[in-house]
Formats: sequence, C-alpha cells, structure tokens
Amino acid sequence: MRFNVVRRASARGSGKQAGRLSLSRHSARVGFLFILPWLIGFVLLKAIPILAALVFSFTSFNMLHPENIRFVGLQNYLAILHDRDAGSSLFGSIGYFVLAVPIEMVAALGLAALFSSDWLRGKRLLRTLFFMPSIIPAIAIYFIISGLVSPGSGWIYRLILEPLDLPPPAGLYMLFPVIFALWTIGPGFLIMLGAMQAIPREIYEAARVDGAGPLMRFFSITIPMISPAIFFSLVINMISAFGGVALLDRGLPYSQSLSPMESYIAYQMFSFLNLGYASALAWVMFLVVMGITVAIFRSARYWVHFPEEDENVEI
Amino acid sequence: MWKSKRARRREVSTLTVRLWDFTGMALLNLFVWLAALIYLSPLTYMFITSVKSGEQLSDPSAPILPARPVRYEYEGRLRYVYAVPTEEGTRELALVDTDRGGAFFVDPQNPEAGLIRWEGSWRTLRRVYTPHWEFGNFVTLWQQIEYPRLLRNTLLLVFLGEIGVLASSIAVAYGFSRFRIPGGKSLFLLLIATIMIPDSITLVPTFFLYANLLDWLRSFTSTSAIYYIPLLLPHFFGSAIYIFLLRQNFKAIPRDLDEAAMIDGASPLRILISIILPQAVPTVVTVGLLHFFNAWNEMRMASLFLGVSQERTIGFSAQAFQSYGFTPEFLQASALMLMVIPVIVLFLAQRFFMQDMVVTGMEK
Repeated sequence: MRFNVVRRASARGSGKQAGRLSLSRHSARVGFLFILPWLIGFVLLKAIPILAALVFSFTSFNMLHPENIRFVGLQNYLAILHDRDAGSSLFGSIGYFVLAVPIEMVAALGLAALFSSDWLRGKRLLRTLFFMPSIIPAIAIYFIISGLVSPGSGWIYRLILEPLDLPPPAGLYMLFPVIFALWTIGPGFLIMLGAMQAIPREIYEAARVDGAGPLMRFFSITIPMISPAIFFSLVINMISAFGGVALLDRGLPYSQSLSPMESYIAYQMFSFLNLGYASALAWVMFLVVMGITVAIFRSARYWVHFPEEDENVEI
Repeated sequence: MWKSKRARRREVSTLTVRLWDFTGMALLNLFVWLAALIYLSPLTYMFITSVKSGEQLSDPSAPILPARPVRYEYEGRLRYVYAVPTEEGTRELALVDTDRGGAFFVDPQNPEAGLIRWEGSWRTLRRVYTPHWEFGNFVTLWQQIEYPRLLRNTLLLVFLGEIGVLASSIAVAYGFSRFRIPGGKSLFLLLIATIMIPDSITLVPTFFLYANLLDWLRSFTSTSAIYYIPLLLPHFFGSAIYIFLLRQNFKAIPRDLDEAAMIDGASPLRILISIILPQAVPTVVTVGLLHFFNAWNEMRMASLFLGVSQERTIGFSAQAFQSYGFTPEFLQASALMLMVIPVIVLFLAQRFFMQDMVVTGMEK
C-alpha cells in the first residue's frame, strides 16, 4: 500500500530517491525469492560443473580407477596439442559453424522478407510448413538425408543424375550439412518475421514518398530496424551449430553431435572413461566458443540498433 | 482536347499498374509455394520408403514408387514375373526354372502353351512390379516396439517437465521483470551467458554426478523411474532461454494494472497469476510448445541414462532401432511415427506458436 503511493509519486518525478529505497527493500526480498529456482540451478548445474571440469582437467581422473586420481598439471592440455584428432575435430566444429550459420541466416532473412509482402496468400499455413522441418528429430533427418544423398541408391542420384546420365559425384555427402542447415532455419525465420511485422508502416510510406526503391527500403529500413532480431537469431544459430541447445532441441546424442569436437569429447569420455582428458578438451572448446561469442557481442555495437530503453521499465 | 488526353493516359497507366501488380502477385505466390514444395520434398522419401516392402528395397532395379513384384502361381509355386526381351518385343513372363545358358519361362496369359526357353543371363532381367502401398509395415512395427508404452513414457516425461519448466521459468522471469533486485542486472547478464555455454563443458561432471546419484538410488529401489531423474530435474530450475523470452514479454506489459492490484492489497504471486499471466498467454503457450518439442526430441540425457532402463522414450527407441538391424522401411516408418505427433501439435497450435514474437535485444 505504502510503496504503491510512492511509485505513483516517483512516476510523476518527485520524491524519487526516498520512495525507491523503501520500495526496494521489500521488493528485493520478494524478487529474490522468485529468481531463487534459477539461482540454485545455476550454481548446481552450471557453475559447480564448470569449475569441477576445470579441476578434473588438471588430473588423470579415470572412471575405471577413480582412486588413482592425481594432479598432472598441464599434461592434458599439452596432450591436446599433440592429438591430431582433437585438432581436426575442433576445426570441423568451426567449419560447420562457418558453413551452416550463414546459410541459416540468409535463408531465414530472405524468407522473412518474402513473407512480409501483402501479396502472399496462405501465410499462416506457409510459415508452419517452412517451420516444420525445424522440429523434426535429428534421427529422422539422418534417415531422410542419407536416403537422398547416398551415391548409388539415393534419390538425388536416381531421380536427377541417372536420367541425365551423370555419374554420382563424390561430393554428394557435402549436401548433408547444407540440407541440415536449411532445415534448421525455423526459429530464426519466425523471429525475424515477427520483428519485420512490428515495423511501423509509416516509416516505409515516408521512405517511398522520398523516392526510396524496394531494395533501398529493405537495406536502409528493414535490416537496421530488425537488427536486434538478426542478432538474436545469429546467437541462437551459433549455439546450435556448436552442438548446444537453443530454443529448439534436435535430439542429437553427444556421440552424434553436428559439432565434431563435441562427439570427440563424448568419445574420449565414454570409450576410455578418460574424464580428465575429456574435461581438458571441453575447456578448450568452451574457451573457443566463448571467444566467438564475445566477438559477436562486441560486434553488436557496430551493427545492432537496440531500441531506447523505456523510461519506467527497469530490472 | 488536351485534358482528355491526359485523363486517358492516367487511365492506361492505372491499368498497367494493376496488370503489373497482378503479375507480381502471381509470380510471388508461385515462387513461395513452389519453394515450400521443394523445401519439404525430402519428406516424401521418408513416407514412400516407409510403405515399401522389404522385397522391393532389396532389388536395386525396382521402381522408386512403392510397388510389389508381380508373381504368378504355376505348378503350385509362386514365381516372379520378369520383363523378357524376345523377338516379338518385351514380354512379361514368369520364371520357372534356370539352367546354364538361359531360363525357362511360362506366359501367365497363356500357360497352356508350355515352357518357353530363353537364352541369356536371366539375372540381368528386370522384375515386373505393380503399385502397392505396404501399410502393414506400421502394423508390424506397432506390434514389435510396444508403441503405446513408449508413447506413455514420453508423454509423462514431457508433461512433468512442462509443469516444472513453466512454473520455474515464469517465476524467475517475473522476478527479473518486476522487482528491483540488488545486482539484478548482472544476474540477468549471467543468465544470458548461460545460454551461450556449450553443453559439453558441463557434461563430464554432470554425468559423474548423476551416475553416482543413480547408483545410490539403486540401493533403495529397483524401479526404472529413477532413470528419468536426469531428464527431468534440470527443468525444475527454469530454462535460461525461456526466462529470457518470458521476461521480455512481461516487461512489455504496462504496470498500471499491477499497481492498481497492489493498492487493493494483492500479493505478488496473486498479481502474477491474475494480472500478468492472462496478458502473456501467447508467450506462455509458445514457451510451452518449445518445451514440448524439446522434451519430445531430447536425446542427450536419454542416450546417457535410459540405456539400462526398462522404460524408454520413443526417441531413444528410434535411435536404437538402427543397431537392432531394422531394415530401411521399418527405420523410416519408426522415424515417421516418432515425428508425427510433434508435427500434428505444431499444426494445431500454429495460431499461437511464435506468433508476433518480437525480440528487441539480448542484454537489455
């Protein structure tokens, strides 16, 4: 009761400081209770495991002989430098990121641009159709894409290449990650479409009056206006390209992750029960992904136009 | 004179503009619908393979569409019919017997004529097929894999997780959006950062922890339900990305109503349930659906912990069928049965799912 009156007053701009203090003492306690579940989960399932992995990475911890655990210093990390498989998995992971994310971003952005036209009919059904492959379980996608690209009996060979008398090319399997990426555009597409639909019409009208053509309007109005949504989709796609789960889970077990580094970590862990070495590998991957994340977030200030914070809405 | 000319020109130009608009509209619709068709075309491979017979799949020269070989009963046995090139053109003949230099056929149209001798290698001949959709594959699969039981396990898992993840994520999002928590801004940045953390960094210790927990629980009980703990527990602490989406939506709801309710003495929980949530229905439904799809597809924890369990999920089973040596038609059929429910749910919920969802920023 009391702090409500204070809020009213603060909204009018008077008695701001005194009012906020008495409000915040009560408010902080209640708010803290509400975020408590996440805090507990963060400590138990994120912070402690990450630190534990760091500790493990300096030991010779093996599941078969947990009693033989001893401190080995940087030995695991030095071993990674000499491990060819680790290097190629890491490059494979970065390679998939570099291949898949641009495909996903451009396809989703182009599709969202087409969808923002008033001319298109049956939009609701169409957006569901384009979104649908993004919820198909990975195992089903594996079966489908293998059936398409396998050189002798796959449909791409039998329906397209064979009638044209072309031999099955060796690179057909390269289509696998491309199709997979194209079938993962759903969340990014809907996020960008939502942002495009929120752009006020008057801005386009004003630009049209000033003589801006469709392309000019797209690049000078649409793209900057939806840049927060583009940024968000970029982050979402980056996480899933590195094998994580953002928004949608494809249901890939660790051993079959799209990111080779992740499956290599699982391989070291479950085939050799080599928890120390697996933890060191995980930390290397963690640092690489965090480095790329920080770079993306840093770049945001140059190309993402965040809207002005609303005055009376605060954390 | 001059005036009417100008008027006529205007008329013509509106007509051309309308023609242009119509052509543009037709082309755009054609392009997008065609793109959708091509985009989804790989799904036909799955459907068509799932209704083929094993016999057709093992024959490399078989047609692409579902069909079964034509057979003809002769002298008490069913014999395959082949397309045999003869002097009178290609004839469809049933293979009766083979020898070194060729084979003996019988004409199904005219069996009384007796055996026909054909010189050449009969293995190069193509079998004759007739269209046939083998829906029996699904029946066989249904009986073999205890589909209802897998479905029950999966739905139970989805449902319990849904309660946990929605309750906790809504509460946390409410805490972040409506209360001044000291250090709240940094805590929220931390929450955003946890979205970015790759799974494998927590894999080793989490696996170790759950493995020991399950070992300990096994000394008390023999029920398979304990293997679901690793799949369910994390959801009760809220999911960072859902919290982010919900908080963003809660922040966009004007505060006037909560303030009015506060004057009337409503508790914060009451305000959340009676004022915030009714205005956030689309986002809550979206988050609920996202969790449904994710929990349905979840394989990471399932592949680690359900291997020894009697009660499996449908996704885990579909993964295992590969190693059981299932033939392609059953693999495709099982994958189809796995994905059909999320797809139906998506179509039923398309009115709500991620509709008008606007993300305005990540850190803010």
